[in-house]
Amino acid sequence: MTANGWFQILFFLLVIFLVTKPIGIFMARVFNREKTSLDLVLRPIEKLLYRLAGVDENHEMRWTEYTVAMLLFSGVSMTLLYLIERTQKWLPFNPQKLPNVEPGLAFGTAASFTTNTNWQSYVPETTMSYFTQMAGLTYHNFVSAAVGIVLAIVVIRGIARRETDKLGNFWVDTTRCLLWVLLPVCLAGSLVLVSQGVIQNLKPYTTVELTEPQTVQVSGADGKTTSQRVTQQVIAQGPAASQEVIKEFGTNGGGFFNANSAHPFENPTPLSNFFELVLIFAIPSGLTYTLGRMTRSQRHGWAVWAAMAFLFFAGVTVTYWAEAKGNRLLAGADQRASALHSGGNMEGKEVRFGIANSALFATVTTDASCGAVNGMHDSFTPLGGMVPLINIMLGEVLFGGVGAGLYGIFVFVALAVFIAGLMVGRTPEYLGKKIESYDVKMAMLAVLILTFTILGFSAFAVAEPFGTAGISNPGPHGLSQVLYAYVSSAGNNGSAFAGINANTMWYNTSTAVAQLLGRFFMIIPIMAIAGNLARKKTVPESTGTFPVTGALFTTLLVSTILIVGALTFFPALSLGPILEHLLMAAGKAF
Amino acid sequence: MLDIVFVGATALFVIVAILYVRACERMRGAKS
Repeated sequence: MTANGWFQILFFLLVIFLVTKPIGIFMARVFNREKTSLDLVLRPIEKLLYRLAGVDENHEMRWTEYTVAMLLFSGVSMTLLYLIERTQKWLPFNPQKLPNVEPGLAFGTAASFTTNTNWQSYVPETTMSYFTQMAGLTYHNFVSAAVGIVLAIVVIRGIARRETDKLGNFWVDTTRCLLWVLLPVCLAGSLVLVSQGVIQNLKPYTTVELTEPQTVQVSGADGKTTSQRVTQQVIAQGPAASQEVIKEFGTNGGGFFNANSAHPFENPTPLSNFFELVLIFAIPSGLTYTLGRMTRSQRHGWAVWAAMAFLFFAGVTVTYWAEAKGNRLLAGADQRASALHSGGNMEGKEVRFGIANSALFATVTTDASCGAVNGMHDSFTPLGGMVPLINIMLGEVLFGGVGAGLYGIFVFVALAVFIAGLMVGRTPEYLGKKIESYDVKMAMLAVLILTFTILGFSAFAVAEPFGTAGISNPGPHGLSQVLYAYVSSAGNNGSAFAGINANTMWYNTSTAVAQLLGRFFMIIPIMAIAGNLARKKTVPESTGTFPVTGALFTTLLVSTILIVGALTFFPALSLGPILEHLLMAAGKAF
Repeated sequence: MLDIVFVGATALFVIVAILYVRACERMRGAKS
């Protein structure tokens, strides 16, 4: 580890701290329908959209109506994306004449982008046309992010409102989120990325002559190996910048290119890398301030932020330490950091980012439900790769996905308050609302859905030949690959231990089901809690009320996240990355 | 054929999710 590396990590955390308040205030104003500086331009567009769609912007919905509207919207959007993929060869903007996507992959991808997962078991530049990327995938990057954010806003309204069953209007909230929050930042942000070298065009792919022609060994269908002289390279093109910015800002993560943010056309410079990192955490961090502002308890918002920041910092510290330490089995190789190289475990990492920025990116992208990668997690050391796994297993609540992070940590807050209530022998209260048995049941339902989905699918996959067929490494690392696939899917992250071959009917359909369950079956009980809280009266704070604002609350929240989240998965982790680490220490690799 | 299966599966999932919403709401009504 180097001082330079630590400076960059701490500077990143400082920037996130600084953007939290302005973004939080702006979002509170947008969703409270207060005046903003963008109203002059956007309000007429908003009114026109409601008129065209027949939406009554003053109609407020109960939690059930709001949730059903969200489900129907997601279902229709998912079907539309499926149909675009299945018909892309007849649609415009397909200069490479790419064929229609095969059904299993089209279904998996449609589920993946609808759920904000963006798990990609295909190579985008050889599978998806520009039209599919723009009208299908990028569209979902925007709307799935907006859906996550507005659901978090509903949870905040549920806490803040009293004796009502009205929680807002799904169509109005989503429209305002897209127009005020996502589109302006993405328009400006895509230009920032273009300035760094991210491409944005609709050109056919470019074929160039190699400056150093290569001879490669190719295996034929008969199993025989022949030598082949390669003199040309095809360089993929496309509208990358417009997808790249929402990929991070909406914590979507699906790369325009297969190498994702390790590709120089997606993430060319250390500055673009830093910008992308800030984009990933900007909204999730800002929402903690929105929580404090809308519930009139700013200190509570900061207490939640502090819990997130503490666990984020713990995670990045472990990853950075593990990766900087390198692989002890590479005896004789110089793995010390110097002026000439980053040192440590550089397998699967970009030289222009080095150890610190690769460790930081891996931590940030899995703390959030982003899933973009600038290095291959499969090539991390066992402990370095375990941190991204744990981050997703914790429910991606360490800032988390846009909206999903806040409504995810709300579950842990409810449980923490409940545990505190049990300890002091009083009915638990949260910002003046009593937390009762129904709320705790719903919170546990949300936690258990994630657990059953991850462990159930993983167990089935490692027990069946069609599941183990995709594993590229035997032993504990193979288990980690399968576990990561379902953790990433159910957690709606989308990053992968890239060694696994997931483009099979089994993985395409089972990960799609895991994504849908992890997204919607977790959201529904949380929305039920929000609806229930909104109906309640506020009880005045008393001397027996457990405070949700100070260091004690932050400590309890951190403990609850670790106990509920980490211990649930400890047996699986001990058979995967922990065992692999111990065997590596004993001199055995896989 | 597979297209019908996958579009049908999407519709089925939405229907099950809506029933899940109703079940959660009914649980609230039945709380003691």
